[in-house]
Amino acid sequence: MNTVIETRGLEKRFGRVRALDGLDLSVEAGEVHGFLGPNGAGKSTTIRVLLGLIRSSGGEATLFGRDPWRDAVALHRRIAYVPGDVNLWSNLSGGESIDLLTRLRGGTTDKRAYAARREHLAEVFQFDPSKKGRTYSKGNRQKVALIAALATPADLYILDEPTSGLDPLMEAVFRQEIAALLGDGATVLLSSHILSEVEHLCDRVSIIRAGRTVETGTLAELRHLTRTEISFAGDGLDPAGFATIPGAHDLAVDGARVRFTADSDAMPEVLAALGRLRATGVTVNPPSLEELFMRHYHDELDEPARSSLEGVR
Amino acid sequence: MNTLPTLLLARFRRDRLQIIVWLALFALLEVVGHAAVTETYGDEAERTSVIKLVIMSPAILMLRGTPQGTDPDAFQFFLLFGFLGLMIGLMMTFLAVRHTRGDEEAGRAELVGSTPAGRIAPLLATALEGVILSVAVGAIMGGVAWAYGADASGALLYGAAMSAVGIAYLGVGLACAQLMRTSRGANGLAAAIVTLGYALRAMGDATGTVQPDGLSMEPGWWSWLSPIGWGQAVAPYTHQLAWPLLLCLGLGVVLFGLSAWLQSSRDLDSSIIPDRPGRVHAPLSLSGPIGLVWRTLRNPVIGWVIGGVLFGLVLGAVGQTVVDLVNTPDGEEAGAAISDTLASLAGPNAEGGLIDLFTTGLFGLVGALAAVGGVQAVMRARQDEAGGTAELVLAAPVSRFRWFSAYLLIGAVSVAAVLAFAVLGAFVGLIGSPDAGARMSTVAEAGLAQLPAGLVIVAVAALVFALVPRASIALGWAVLLVAIVLGQFGGLFGFPEWLRDVSPFSHTPIVTAETIDWTAAWVMAGIAVVVAAGATALVRRRDLALGG
Repeated sequence: MNTVIETRGLEKRFGRVRALDGLDLSVEAGEVHGFLGPNGAGKSTTIRVLLGLIRSSGGEATLFGRDPWRDAVALHRRIAYVPGDVNLWSNLSGGESIDLLTRLRGGTTDKRAYAARREHLAEVFQFDPSKKGRTYSKGNRQKVALIAALATPADLYILDEPTSGLDPLMEAVFRQEIAALLGDGATVLLSSHILSEVEHLCDRVSIIRAGRTVETGTLAELRHLTRTEISFAGDGLDPAGFATIPGAHDLAVDGARVRFTADSDAMPEVLAALGRLRATGVTVNPPSLEELFMRHYHDELDEPARSSLEGVR
Repeated sequence: MNTLPTLLLARFRRDRLQIIVWLALFALLEVVGHAAVTETYGDEAERTSVIKLVIMSPAILMLRGTPQGTDPDAFQFFLLFGFLGLMIGLMMTFLAVRHTRGDEEAGRAELVGSTPAGRIAPLLATALEGVILSVAVGAIMGGVAWAYGADASGALLYGAAMSAVGIAYLGVGLACAQLMRTSRGANGLAAAIVTLGYALRAMGDATGTVQPDGLSMEPGWWSWLSPIGWGQAVAPYTHQLAWPLLLCLGLGVVLFGLSAWLQSSRDLDSSIIPDRPGRVHAPLSLSGPIGLVWRTLRNPVIGWVIGGVLFGLVLGAVGQTVVDLVNTPDGEEAGAAISDTLASLAGPNAEGGLIDLFTTGLFGLVGALAAVGGVQAVMRARQDEAGGTAELVLAAPVSRFRWFSAYLLIGAVSVAAVLAFAVLGAFVGLIGSPDAGARMSTVAEAGLAQLPAGLVIVAVAALVFALVPRASIALGWAVLLVAIVLGQFGGLFGFPEWLRDVSPFSHTPIVTAETIDWTAAWVMAGIAVVVAAGATALVRRRDLALGG
């Protein structure tokens, strides 16, 4: 029993809108699972189903093997959550909000440990707890939810775009704190559209689109799905030789540069062939998650552009 | 490029709905006021007897003003001007704060300030909007009075007095927005100053000296400390003094000048009185949903309770006067008019002595006040759900039941507390009146009798929240309003009985009857419990409806 989150064919309809349309997600204990997708793909909806805030319209979802709607209260004792858009009580100070959220989670039983932990987090996140909720910026509101979530131990952390309001320094602090959690065997579901964050932190990734899972796997497995981009200077070389590069795709001569892509596992042969050609000025761009991401959403990006052009005509 | 017209138009556009509602409300009050004066106090003898009675009763003087003879327009001015001054004061201070500190807090002032509009133009546009609306309110009031037959110069001065009070409080609102860091703080301070102005003139009116004719009074010196008092001093249908208008305008201009000077010399997002820092740690009371809901609703609940106490005090003290009225020979006619009104307020089958009718009738109004506080608590649940804080609470190990029942509990406690404190206030007001013991027991019963109807309203508001969350704020208040209009005022408006029976307030036990029949109270209490339990169960079963 090591699966913490499991959904199979999860569906959620809001009236006629299908927010989730057969979403599969599996998160193992002890991993940081990246939950990737553009705005409106269904990330927050999935998380709210998992928290029992809304009820699925179909499919299955379990947390720690239990029903997130029926057993919400019992499950929430083991969960810490940071919403994507943190809204605070306008008349409570940040410190009061943190204490309240922690007490609701029953996390103040060990008062001294909690106080020390809260102080540490306020310091590393450079957070002033005495201001009133309405005066905090987006980043500071997010810090309230983050500090409250990280101040007491949980088995599962559900973080919905937790760094979208943080500056790069605070993002680095966030990464450190998450890394520290993993030492304690915690599981993290990290929804994001910031790819570098996911590449830094996550063991496995699920990419969703329009309420459906389109890819899932470890970073290495996913990298496998993308090709490495290679280019070199073509001056003085015999174009006939280019055809001898094994596994080269989409080869194009672009002025003085020759560009092609190759599958990741074909790289040893490709490099040997480049050596035989005596190619100079070689650049190799490793496969990035971004490319994978862009490929999945490519036609989605194209379509609105095309239809808006048609609208003009 | 002159940005002022753009800013001014944007303000009118943003406020268009509010402006219509406010102006319609003022027009309606003026029309209803005239109708009421002609209906209830139609002939001079009636007005004479009422004024003679009122002059003996400081409590009524505090609520109304000082009478200025028996002319019908002057009579209406005496009845309504103090209250209208309070209303235009609140309208203007809220307007001033909304477009200055409110914009600054929301970040809109920063955006506008980065354009050629600069720092002063937005302030000036706000002041202009306020002046234009003050003049519009004055024109409406004066115009309606004129249409009802007031002489032209009197109506003109009457309208001018309204406008001048509005302009004075516009200045107060602008200055408060400079002083406080948040719009909440500025609105609170401004509302306190407006209320203080109302209270000062109440003191002045209560301590006024009776003139030789025995039908008019000169207010005491307290009234000269209040812009509303200045407006009253204009006495448009009798003395016709124009110079107190200059006091109002002068205050408005001085405070605008001060605000402009502060605005041009201070930093964005700073204030003269700095925001108090909050606590670094939460107090122990803030540990669960009940503590949280109490913390959010504490100030409004205390406000409703204070309202209940004051209402009770006046009710107790005035009851004494009503008894005196019936016992004086020339009071009989006015007494009959009042008892008709009270009997219709008290309920469809009210019977009993005038003093008890009076108590029951006015406790109906306390019941409405209490229900407003209760509904506000349930509506807070919707605000928290839409605002996103409910999501934070419900993602913790807090069941829907525990979450929602906190709002219901605070709502029910608020209803009970307003009624209880109104009863206590009435006890204090009754001290020294003859037969106080019997009066007090009637008051206590009248207070208790209002409780079940208030609880039913709270439960129905909860049901609305459970079934149609996105429409619940508008619908919840509408339910309350319909219940109050049908139940508490249905008799005054002459609605048919079956329609009035729709409202729980129509079923409130009549404590003036020989033997009080509490059956309906128990039935309503049962309905409240069942409906509230049903609403809680439905909240458990529905999706959290975020936003919108």
